[in-house]
Amino acid sequence: MYPIFYFPYLTSGWIIAILATLHILPSHLVTSAMWFNVYIEWKAYKEKREELLEFVKKFTLLLLVFSYVFGSLSGVGIWFATMASSPRGISSLIHNYVWGWATEWVFFIIEVLGVFVYYYTFDKVDRRTHLIIGLIFAIGAWTTMVIIVGILSFMISTGKWIENGSFFYGFFNRNYFPHLILRTIFMFAVTALYATFISNFVRNEITKKEIIKKASLFGTLSIVLFFPTLYVYLNSIPLQSKEIYNLLVTPGLKIGFIIPILLVLIYFLLNLFTNFLTKLIPSLVMIIVIFFGIFVGERIREILRKPYLIPDYVYSNGIIAKDHKAKGVISDITKVKNGNGILEIFPFTPSELKNINENNILEAGKLVALIECSSCHSVEKAGVRPLKYYIDKMGFDSIETAMEFLDLMGENYIYMPPFLGNEMEKRALASFLISLRGSK
Amino acid sequence: MDVTNIIKNLIDPMGIPSFPLVFQFLLVLTFVIHILFVNLTVGSVFMSFFLSLKGNIYSKKLSTALIKVTPFFISMSILFGVAPLLFVQVIYDAFFYTASSLLGLYVILFIFSMMLGYTLIYISYFKKDKNEKLFKILTFISFTLFLFSGFVMHSISFLSVIPEKWMEIFTSSEPVNTSGSQLKYFQISRFLHFIIPSFINLGIFLMLYSEYYREREDMEKNYIEFVYKTGAKLSFYFIILQIIVGLWFLFDIPITFRFYLNPFLIVGKILSLILAFLLFKILKEGKIKGEIIALLALLILFFMSYSRESLRATYLSQFHYSIFDYKLNLDIGSTLLFLLTFIMGLIVISFLIYIPYKAGKTKGLYTSTDKELKWGKIAVSIMIIWLFVMVTLGIFITFNNIS
Repeated sequence: MYPIFYFPYLTSGWIIAILATLHILPSHLVTSAMWFNVYIEWKAYKEKREELLEFVKKFTLLLLVFSYVFGSLSGVGIWFATMASSPRGISSLIHNYVWGWATEWVFFIIEVLGVFVYYYTFDKVDRRTHLIIGLIFAIGAWTTMVIIVGILSFMISTGKWIENGSFFYGFFNRNYFPHLILRTIFMFAVTALYATFISNFVRNEITKKEIIKKASLFGTLSIVLFFPTLYVYLNSIPLQSKEIYNLLVTPGLKIGFIIPILLVLIYFLLNLFTNFLTKLIPSLVMIIVIFFGIFVGERIREILRKPYLIPDYVYSNGIIAKDHKAKGVISDITKVKNGNGILEIFPFTPSELKNINENNILEAGKLVALIECSSCHSVEKAGVRPLKYYIDKMGFDSIETAMEFLDLMGENYIYMPPFLGNEMEKRALASFLISLRGSK
Repeated sequence: MDVTNIIKNLIDPMGIPSFPLVFQFLLVLTFVIHILFVNLTVGSVFMSFFLSLKGNIYSKKLSTALIKVTPFFISMSILFGVAPLLFVQVIYDAFFYTASSLLGLYVILFIFSMMLGYTLIYISYFKKDKNEKLFKILTFISFTLFLFSGFVMHSISFLSVIPEKWMEIFTSSEPVNTSGSQLKYFQISRFLHFIIPSFINLGIFLMLYSEYYREREDMEKNYIEFVYKTGAKLSFYFIILQIIVGLWFLFDIPITFRFYLNPFLIVGKILSLILAFLLFKILKEGKIKGEIIALLALLILFFMSYSRESLRATYLSQFHYSIFDYKLNLDIGSTLLFLLTFIMGLIVISFLIYIPYKAGKTKGLYTSTDKELKWGKIAVSIMIIWLFVMVTLGIFITFNNIS
């Protein structure tokens, strides 16, 4: 367990979520945009229509500036933020999947070099060579998704990794292919929206209309195929995630996910037949709409893995949940069962809090809350899922009722990790929770 | 809990999937490329700003050329920063994560500072011809933001090797300090030792740049000479400064480490003196092939990076930590996946570098030879084969996983 970095009111979980949100749009764009670009470039050469190349150049400039500034920096940013706020979680992933990430990095080099070379060699190298560069860039960009989806799926379903500790058994879990296909199909809808947006900067009206029609067709097909794939995806998640889905994914979240996607589908269908919504502002609005949908979708995916970061291995608060025999890991739960308290196994406990007494019980309780609760809950009176709100809502009237609740965590409340600690620490946490009650 | 036990407690119980030496070598190797591009970024942003202040036409032309190449340098810094960031987490997890948590607020500021700095570079680039004053302001702000980002990275690295200070920071308020804002420990000499090479390496880049374009008929000869001389002067003056800062840095390292006897450091210093001598000769007598200078600079970076790694190991050995004691849970499959992909990547990446290299030397359109086209087709084919093998393996394992 590492020292805690706690961002007041927001919680560390939300810091990561904000950066992940910034990462979603540019990263989804890069994985698919080049397939569309290479197709249009190929068409321009084949049909000898130079005017189509104007779109290809402008679309690539968008990729270069938008995706490879905000995309790559926010991607690295997620890593940094996770290192600071959820070190045990990222450490567990890194120590399993370092070679997965390193492999992705090789394709990332191909992708980033690809975008620069593709953009700056326009009209400087012959067409066949340029198309080959485009194709290399397209394959490289999509392959980064092929790899990262393995690690993302592992955070929902670990396959037989839990028994044998094998990289590939965790990577190719039952959720992997449905997840990969789902994202692959969906990325074309994102590309189609960006292409519609960029077409506004194309001078030739005929080209503009043609690009919009082609993009809308891509987009329509993408979303039509998206729904059956989503069904398959939801069937591939483990039983525990299905229970969490039924329990926590509220109708509001479902609507927040589905409505934007349906709106985008309607938008594409309208663009197939009319032009009145293809201008700059409506196309930008639709990018924001799909962004909202993706954001909600990603939040749902994160909810599905509750209470874990890695199912059956690490809880969302960084506590190691279960022993891993194949890897020789003794869990934090086992360590506490062997007679230690959480403040004893937490290496950074101040010496004065090691023995809990009347004078330091609230401070000890706050430290336990910071260790076990603060990754999801604000320990202030306001902010993200503040503890105070839940204490008031559940009507705890004494330390004992709060302690009873702590006993039920992980059993009756399966989306939360169980309380970890000895009786005195439980009392300290309960005292701290009760101290938050009612005050403004 | 004493510091040694704290560290033992933090090390990931999963172990590592390959030998520690593999990760250490990759860490140093990729760090060399990363720091080279970081140097080029910092150097080019500053010089682009500085040259824009001057009145002569060549300075302005070079300022524009530099701001044009800066986004590429930044992209490469990020790209090659990913790998050392990954490998350092594998073998120095306990140290790097703790330092990052204790400086969490600065870690977040680092991310946004980089984003803003990068964005300002693009705005500067697009506004260069339209608004000179704005260009100067934006490039200067960008330079400051990159320096700040570098300082945060330096502080994390430094805090990670002084674990005896961790508890003091974490318990600096009651009951604990979770603000991630206690930036108290840094070494100015060490930071400068990373920043000054920005100008040495940018100078060498300028020399290579002028040699590369010297053969192009459409390039103005006097301008090319100006770039070469600017580069040589920049490198020479800053390598002298680096030698002085290097000595200062040596005095800041605990004498008990006897770091001045480190073989990597000694080789690095000797090579630096040779480089300084060659640069002096260039200034006095004229040209020496840029490739030799560049190779020498790369070797210096490599030896200095390995000496940095030795220094880290020495700091941490005080707490009985050695990466060679890290628990090994060998995973041959995933190790092979990376190594084979890396070899495949070299074929593809070299194609992506070679074609623009050739095209840049040609005035007008460059037509690839049949061999080059074949190379490109091989690159596409092996990437498709890679995907095919992964999907086949994936289907096979998925069925095994379900059964």
